Amino acid sequence: MIAHAVLAALVVAQVVPPPAVSTVSGATVVRQRDAASPLAGVELFVRAGLDRQTLSQNGLAALTAESILQTPVTAAPGDAPRPLQDAVAAMGGSISFGVSPSDVHFYIEGLAEDQDALVGLLSQALAAPALDGATIASARTVLDANIANDDRLPFQVGMDMLDRQFFGNANQGLPQYGTATALAQFVAADVRGFYTRYYRRDGAVISAVGPPTAFASSAIERLAGTLGPGRSTAVAAKVAALQGTSRELIARRDIGAPWMLAQFSAPAVGSKDFAAMLVLAALVDRGLQETAQVPTAVSRGIADGVVGTIYNYDQKPASLVIYVDGGLGDASTTFSNTLAFVKVINTVKLSGSFDEFKALARGNYIAGSDRIADRAWLAGVFAGNGASPNYLNQTLAEIAAVTPADVARVARKYLGKPAIALVVPRASATQ
Amino acid sequence: MRAGCIALAFALLASALGALPARAADATLLQGALPHGGTYFLQRDPEVAGAAVELWFRAPSDGYDGATPGIAQLAAVSVAAVPLAAGRSLIDFLHSVGGRFFVAVYPDMVSVSAMVPASAARRTIATMTAAYFAPTVNQNALTIAQRDEALLAIERKYSSELALHDVAFQQLFSSGPAHRSPLADSTAPAAAPSLDAIGAFARRAFRGSNALLSVAGNVDVAAFDAVTDGDGPNAIDPPYDSPVDPTPQDLSQTGSVDGIGLAWSGPPISDEKAATALDFVNDYLFDDGTGTLQRDAASSSTQLTGQFVTLHEPGVMIVTISGPNADAARLRVLAAIAALGQPLDSATFAAAQRAFVYHTLSKSQPLEAAADNVGWYAAQDDAAYAPGNPDGTYLRDARSLDPAYVARIVRTFLKTPIVVRLATAANGSPS
Repeated sequence: MIAHAVLAALVVAQVVPPPAVSTVSGATVVRQRDAASPLAGVELFVRAGLDRQTLSQNGLAALTAESILQTPVTAAPGDAPRPLQDAVAAMGGSISFGVSPSDVHFYIEGLAEDQDALVGLLSQALAAPALDGATIASARTVLDANIANDDRLPFQVGMDMLDRQFFGNANQGLPQYGTATALAQFVAADVRGFYTRYYRRDGAVISAVGPPTAFASSAIERLAGTLGPGRSTAVAAKVAALQGTSRELIARRDIGAPWMLAQFSAPAVGSKDFAAMLVLAALVDRGLQETAQVPTAVSRGIADGVVGTIYNYDQKPASLVIYVDGGLGDASTTFSNTLAFVKVINTVKLSGSFDEFKALARGNYIAGSDRIADRAWLAGVFAGNGASPNYLNQTLAEIAAVTPADVARVARKYLGKPAIALVVPRASATQ
Repeated sequence: MRAGCIALAFALLASALGALPARAADATLLQGALPHGGTYFLQRDPEVAGAAVELWFRAPSDGYDGATPGIAQLAAVSVAAVPLAAGRSLIDFLHSVGGRFFVAVYPDMVSVSAMVPASAARRTIATMTAAYFAPTVNQNALTIAQRDEALLAIERKYSSELALHDVAFQQLFSSGPAHRSPLADSTAPAAAPSLDAIGAFARRAFRGSNALLSVAGNVDVAAFDAVTDGDGPNAIDPPYDSPVDPTPQDLSQTGSVDGIGLAWSGPPISDEKAATALDFVNDYLFDDGTGTLQRDAASSSTQLTGQFVTLHEPGVMIVTISGPNADAARLRVLAAIAALGQPLDSATFAAAQRAFVYHTLSKSQPLEAAADNVGWYAAQDDAAYAPGNPDGTYLRDARSLDPAYVARIVRTFLKTPIVVRLATAANGSPS
C-alpha cells in the first residue's frame, strides 16, 4: 500500500511547481509560488463554519466573520482606526469571507509588496476583534443586505432549499448568511462566545499564493498565532441518509423565468472517485449543453449561464448540482429534456472514447485555477480535507488515469437520487 | 480602460507591427513577427497550467461596404465551425483538448479567443491560425453562426447596459461602424449576407498580416513556430475610424429595456495620462466593490455601470443607469462628477489611487483578461499601454496621477454629457 502510494506520487507530472507545506502552531500553511504575479493573496480557513452553529444559531458564523471585517484596525502607529475592510481597501487591496459547512474562510489580496502589511491588518483584527454591540449591529446590516440579495437570485434560492434537505435539515445545510430573523436575535455575548470557542488554530489552514518576495517575512506565522490554541469540534447534528427516489422543492420569487436545479450526492476531495466524478461532470455538462440545444460556438459563455453543473467537492458530503435557466427558449422542454438526460446517465452503458470528456474535465479544472484566489482556495480545500495540497498536478494525473469503467461506476454510485428544486415566477407565468 | 463592448481601432501605419523582430518589450511582454505575417504578443507565466490564445483583427463589423451589419460576427463564427484539413473544425479541436472558445466583435475589431490547458497551446496556435489565415465557410457553419448571432442580438437588445451603450454611440458618432451595434438586429427585416459575401469578408479581414496574436500563460515563444499559414509580411489594415458628430444630440426612444445613458467624448489613446485619469475616475465612482456611487446604488436597487472606453479618437466615458430610481441616480452621478472637478484631498486621493492600481491588476489576472488587454491595446498600436502589465506605461501613468491633474481632466472632458433614455412601452414614453 505504501509502495503503491510512493509510486503514484512519483509518476505525477509536475505541470506547475507543487506547493510547499508546513505546520505553524498547529495550523497548516501552504505556499504556492507565482513569480510572474504582481499580486499576492492569502486565504485563511478556520473551523468555524456552519457545523459549529446550532440550528438556532443560524447566521452566527457569518455575523462573527463580518464583525471581524468591521473591526477597527490601524495601518500605522498614530493612524486613526478604521474598519478592517476599509483599511484593506485604502491600502489597495480587498478582503472577503465565505462560510462553508465546515469552515469560515477569509481571503485577503493586494499588491505583492503590500501583502505582509495586509496580512498584518487581518492579524490585528483577529487578535482583538471588536465584538461589541455597535460593530455587530453594523455587521448585521451588511448581512441583511446579503440575504436580501441572495433571495433575488434564483440559483441561490434553489441551492439553499436543496442544501437544507441535502444535509438532512442539519446545521451544515443552513444558508451561509443565516436569516434576518435569526440574526436579529444575537447579542454581543453570542458572537464573543462563538469566536472564543471556534477560532482555533488546530485544523486551520493558511493558503498563500504570490511571488516569493510577498511572503518573505513572518506575517503568515503571526497570523496563525492570532488564533487560540487547540481544536474545536462540530456541534453534533444527525444527518439523515438520503432516501426515496426523488424530492421536489418549489419556491416562488419575482423573477422573469423559472429555474430548475437537481442535486446529487458526489465524492469529496480526497475520494478515490473524485477524478472520475470530474470527468462525469464534464460528460453531463456537455450532454446538457447539447440537450438544451444551446449554441455551440461563440455563446459558450452564455450557455454556461443557462445550463451546466456545479460540483461542490469542497463539502463533506459533496454534491453535484445541475442547473437550468428556463429563460432561454422553451423552459418546459428544456427541463424535461434535462431530467430525461439525468435519468438515463446512470443507467446507459458508458463505453467508447472518453478522451474528450477527460480533456474537458482537465480544461475545466485548469480554468478554475486561473486567479490566485482560485489557487489559494483550492490548495486550502485540499489541505483542509486531508488531501495533498498539490491539487493541480495530482488531480490532472488522476484525471488522466480515469477509465470508462470508473466513470460508469461513479455514475451508478452517485447519480441515482436527485433532489429537484424549482424556482418559479410568482405570477404563475411559467412557460 | 479596455471596454467590453465597443471600440475603435486607431490610426496607425501597419508596417510598424509586422516587421518587428522578437524582443523583450519589458520583463513580462514579448512581441515579435509571426513566421508568415502578423504579430504576436506573449505574456509568459511558467507557473500556471493554462493558456489564453487570442487572435485580434482590425475589421469593420458592418462590412467593407459599411452596409452589412453583423457580417463580422457571422464570418468569425463560421470560420471556426468549418472542418479543417484534418477533418474537424477549430471548435471541435478545442473541445477535444478541453478548451473553451469565444468570439467578440466590436465596431472596428474582431477577436477570437481560446482558453486551453497549456499543454495544448502550441496546437491551438497552429489550428487557430490555420483556420483564420486561410478561411473557408460553408452553409452548415453559417447556420451555426446565424443561430449564435440571433441569440447574442437578443441578449444585447434586452440588456440595459448594452442597449444604452449602442444608443449612446449612435448619438456620439455620426456614421461609421461605431454608429451602429456590431450585431445585426435579429428582429429587423434585413437581408442576410450571402455565403460568398461572408467568405470574401473573411479572406480580407482574417489574413495573417492583419492579425495580432495575443497569448498569455505557460507558453514558450517557440510555440509561434507552429504557425504555417499567412500572406507574408504585408501591412496590417489601418483602423476603421468613425467620425464624431460635432453636435451630438440627446435622444429618448422606446426600447426593449428601461434606462438612462450618459456619454462624454474623452481623450484619445495617444493622451495616455488623460485616458488613465478617466479610468481612475471611473474606478473611484463606479467600481463594483468600492465605487462611491455604487454603494448608494446598491441601497436603492439601481443598476449603475461606468466605463471609460479607450479609443483612438476620441475615447468615450459612458454611464448606464437602470432600475426604479434611475433619474435620482442620474442626478447623483452628475453631481459626483462635477465635484471631482475640484481636487480630492490628498489622503482620499492616495487611497483611491492605490485601490485603482490594485483593481487594474486584479481585473487583469485571468489569462483571458491579460490576453484581451494586450490584444485590444495592440489593435490600437499601444500594447505597452495595456493595463495589467506590471512594467507597462499604464501603471506608470496610474501611479503618476495627482489630485489637481485628475480634476483638470474632469473639467476638460466631463462637462455636459449627451443623455439617452430608453423606455419600454409598458412604462410609457421616455421623458
